[in-house]
Amino acid sequence: MLSPINIPVESLNLMTLAPMLIPIIGALLILVVDLFKGGLHKSLYVVLSLLFLGMDFIALVDSSEIFTQSGVTMGVFDLMLIDGLAILSQFIIVLASMLFIPLALTHKRFHEFSYPEFFALFLFMIGGFQFMVSSDNLILIFVGLETSSLALYTMIAMHNRDKSFEAAVKYFTMGALAAGFYSFGAMVFYALTGSVEINKIALVLANNNYADIGYVLVAVVFMLASFGFKLSLVPFHTWAPDVYEGSSAAMAGYMSIVPKIAAFVVTMRLFEFLVHSDIVWLEVILYIFVVVTMTISNLWALVQTDVKRMLAYSSISHAGFVMAAILIGTTQANTALFLYWVLFSFVNLGSFSMLWISRQKHLREHQMSDHSFDKFAGMIKTAPISALIMALFMLSLAGIPPFALFWGKLYMISSAVTSGYTILALIMALNSAIAGYYYLKLIVYMFMKEPVIDNDGGQLYVANATKPLNTIIGIAVLGTIFAFLAVNPLLEFISAFVYNSGY
Amino acid sequence: MIDHILSILIFFPALAGILGFMIQKESIRAFGVSVSIVEFALSLWLWFAFDGNVSGMQFMEQLPLVPAYGINYILGVDGISLFIIILASFFTMIGIASLTDTPNVKNMIITLLFLQMTMIGVFAALDAIVFYVFWELSLVPMVYIIGAWGGPLRVYASIKFFLYTFAGSLVMLVGMLFMAFFYYQATGVWSFALLDWYRLILPETFQLWLFAAFFIGFAIKVPMFPFHTWLPYAHGQAPTIGSVILAAILLKMGTYAFIRFSLPLFPDASAFFMVPIAIIAIIMIIYTAMVAYAQEDIKQVVAYSSISHMGVIILGTFALNVEGISGSIFLMIAHGVVSGALFLLVGVIYDRRHTKMMSEFGGLANVMPRYATIFGIMLMASVGMPLTINFVGEFLSLLGFYQQSHMLTLLAGTAIIVGAIYMLSAYKKMFFGNEIKEENKNLPDVNKRELIALIPLSVITIWLGVYPKPVLEPIDNSVKAIVQLMHNKSQTDLAKERIPNLVESKEIVIAAKSSIKEVH
Repeated sequence: MLSPINIPVESLNLMTLAPMLIPIIGALLILVVDLFKGGLHKSLYVVLSLLFLGMDFIALVDSSEIFTQSGVTMGVFDLMLIDGLAILSQFIIVLASMLFIPLALTHKRFHEFSYPEFFALFLFMIGGFQFMVSSDNLILIFVGLETSSLALYTMIAMHNRDKSFEAAVKYFTMGALAAGFYSFGAMVFYALTGSVEINKIALVLANNNYADIGYVLVAVVFMLASFGFKLSLVPFHTWAPDVYEGSSAAMAGYMSIVPKIAAFVVTMRLFEFLVHSDIVWLEVILYIFVVVTMTISNLWALVQTDVKRMLAYSSISHAGFVMAAILIGTTQANTALFLYWVLFSFVNLGSFSMLWISRQKHLREHQMSDHSFDKFAGMIKTAPISALIMALFMLSLAGIPPFALFWGKLYMISSAVTSGYTILALIMALNSAIAGYYYLKLIVYMFMKEPVIDNDGGQLYVANATKPLNTIIGIAVLGTIFAFLAVNPLLEFISAFVYNSGY
Repeated sequence: MIDHILSILIFFPALAGILGFMIQKESIRAFGVSVSIVEFALSLWLWFAFDGNVSGMQFMEQLPLVPAYGINYILGVDGISLFIIILASFFTMIGIASLTDTPNVKNMIITLLFLQMTMIGVFAALDAIVFYVFWELSLVPMVYIIGAWGGPLRVYASIKFFLYTFAGSLVMLVGMLFMAFFYYQATGVWSFALLDWYRLILPETFQLWLFAAFFIGFAIKVPMFPFHTWLPYAHGQAPTIGSVILAAILLKMGTYAFIRFSLPLFPDASAFFMVPIAIIAIIMIIYTAMVAYAQEDIKQVVAYSSISHMGVIILGTFALNVEGISGSIFLMIAHGVVSGALFLLVGVIYDRRHTKMMSEFGGLANVMPRYATIFGIMLMASVGMPLTINFVGEFLSLLGFYQQSHMLTLLAGTAIIVGAIYMLSAYKKMFFGNEIKEENKNLPDVNKRELIALIPLSVITIWLGVYPKPVLEPIDNSVKAIVQLMHNKSQTDLAKERIPNLVESKEIVIAAKSSIKEVH
């Protein structure tokens, strides 16, 4: 005879679920709307998505108030975990998504944005990311990871170009492999500790003093390989440039920001106890990952002939740069990670949007690819304001002060300095110098070369621009220039959240 | 208003630059000239309001920027930076006024105004991060000037310039972060404020490493041998205005930073590295002078002679005494005036003939007598003739270093001889001789616009050469404070021996000692 299960609803803390449920409800609503009345204009879906993201944002503000009042909160059978990391990363995810979605309103029609399913998938994906970052249960993380990834694969394939199908298939195959690695790593952790919750895994491993160090390392390597895919760390990065090239510029910009912050948070949760466990091998492995990712991808970026691929490699390099925070593992470093990523999302979304407004449906004769460097030659003469904005983003990505990313770099290198990673700090600095070259290359093309042929008075560069797009770019420009005003409040906000959740 | 004069000096040109986008192409030159005249007048006002008897910082401004991390917007000016700021505003004015017809003149003037903001920002900043911001930002307009208006190899030259200086300053940034970290360890508070850092006493081993990190950033900017290879390209390819600003102001950032950062922060390391740096400086002086002699392009002669004189400035700086440092600061100004004028003069002849090869000229003294006269004055100054501005600085620099090492000073002194040789031979090739080429026979002499730029420079060259006191005295006062600070902070015997103790300024002794905390 089974006794009835009696769980008081209050103990479930259902409000911890609220932020994730809002986008999911939104996605379902979009599907239902499409079911009853097809062929509606995409602007409706954009506004609906924005609306639900706005509500999501308000729910996040609520949970952040709960967090500041009563600290780390768990709910729903302790599956959900609302701590500073979860809230911070959800803020970044939701804000970046709100900046991304108006980019769908372009002049030219591109396939993906005309499907209502795109917007539904988009909201599902955000829900997936939110699950992923607000749990320390390896299984729920996996569910969130796969929800978001599967949605993302489909969204890439919707771009409807030969290269996009290739990109989607490539991303899917690689992602499936990464999922396999992830489940294998989780399995080993479970075998070792009898738990799938990260804090219990940490506790058990610490209690038996990392006795099965060999197995721990096996699990760590599998986990690292899995997140290496997600974060595009060298040598698991090979999909990234092709996928970025295959998807639309806006999508590529989005992919370089949001999935990565989600993966960073999980990596931070998973490796927080490991990097403090004094396992030398682990530190060596991470160190190599960081340095190799930063340096090699920088060198590849040097030789790219396409701006989008260059930006793709540079995003990989930035990911490596930020990965250093996980290696360092101090509160300052973790704060630096978030600071860097907030600033990076502005700049990177801005620069990819600049590519997006300059996208034409058919390649011109002198161009080898959609966004070859040649296309930007002499832009200062044909489209001076666009050239200045693009140059601003490039300078910011290169870390020229006082533009946005400089402050992230400064704080990140400083966190390396304060925790004794002097060599790493120098490597980071020198990598920034290498990166300066390829960002400057685009500026050289825009400002110092003559326009190639048949100029249409700069039309090419702004053909795709609409008011919403210009607004987004305007926000990115303001964020880039006036970042120095935002650094202090951001720093205080982030470090309070990170510190209070014990990272 | 005078309380915020430094902020106004920094941001007025930038604001004007932004407004400049809205101005018609035809009137942009008038706009640029009037903005830079106002700016120059403001900098003169700064000089008049400046109290030359005070050794510390004046007109200080402070605003929190990232207080959580110890970064504040702090500005201030003392005798050392005062005249370099005036020099910067003066040369921007001269540069814009003498600007010849270039394509895209609007972009050029706006770029120059932004460049002016960064230059004055560097010399007024008293917070390391603010300093770094302006320091890095100055690369951008300069790269654009070289890359958009330069010679055939301009893109290569501008990228080389950018990468060299960018890489160097990133290493310097790591040094700055370490400095702030040590300050944090000693006091529990983050700070990037220079005056806070001055109070920090570091163990010698730390000093050596940090000195090296800062040194890379500064040495590339100066540029010191063997990091100088970007400079001949930059000068060779840059348009006249670019070379003028580069030689007159931008290079001074490096030497200024040595005095502002390296010496007072790391006195023991400075004393430790004194001889090696002096040897590098002497190599710079002699080697580049010899290279200058071998040049066939008159602009390259001036460029290499510029590096050579920068060597004397470095030597004076690392004399570590009042004469040497004051002399080197004075020489910075002198070098700015003289090499700036020489580049302008090269620009004059280039405008007329579109060649800078000395073999193309000869006997110009007959055709262009006024040009030859002004060139002669500047040449004499460059060589270091007594009663010209360079002489005062060179003499004091060498006098300062003479107290440290007779032998090295003697070697450095040969530079004056070598300098005389290459300069005079260049002058002979261009201006003397009877054979005048057909193309040169009808060259017009310097016109009014060029005279507007050249006459004030000639006047300053002679005026400060005869009567350097009004400039030298404020410099001297501030340098005394720095030398005293260095002496008080020095720990090693070597440093105590090399850095003199000036007992008359007792205030600093107390200020420094009361806040001494050892870093462990």
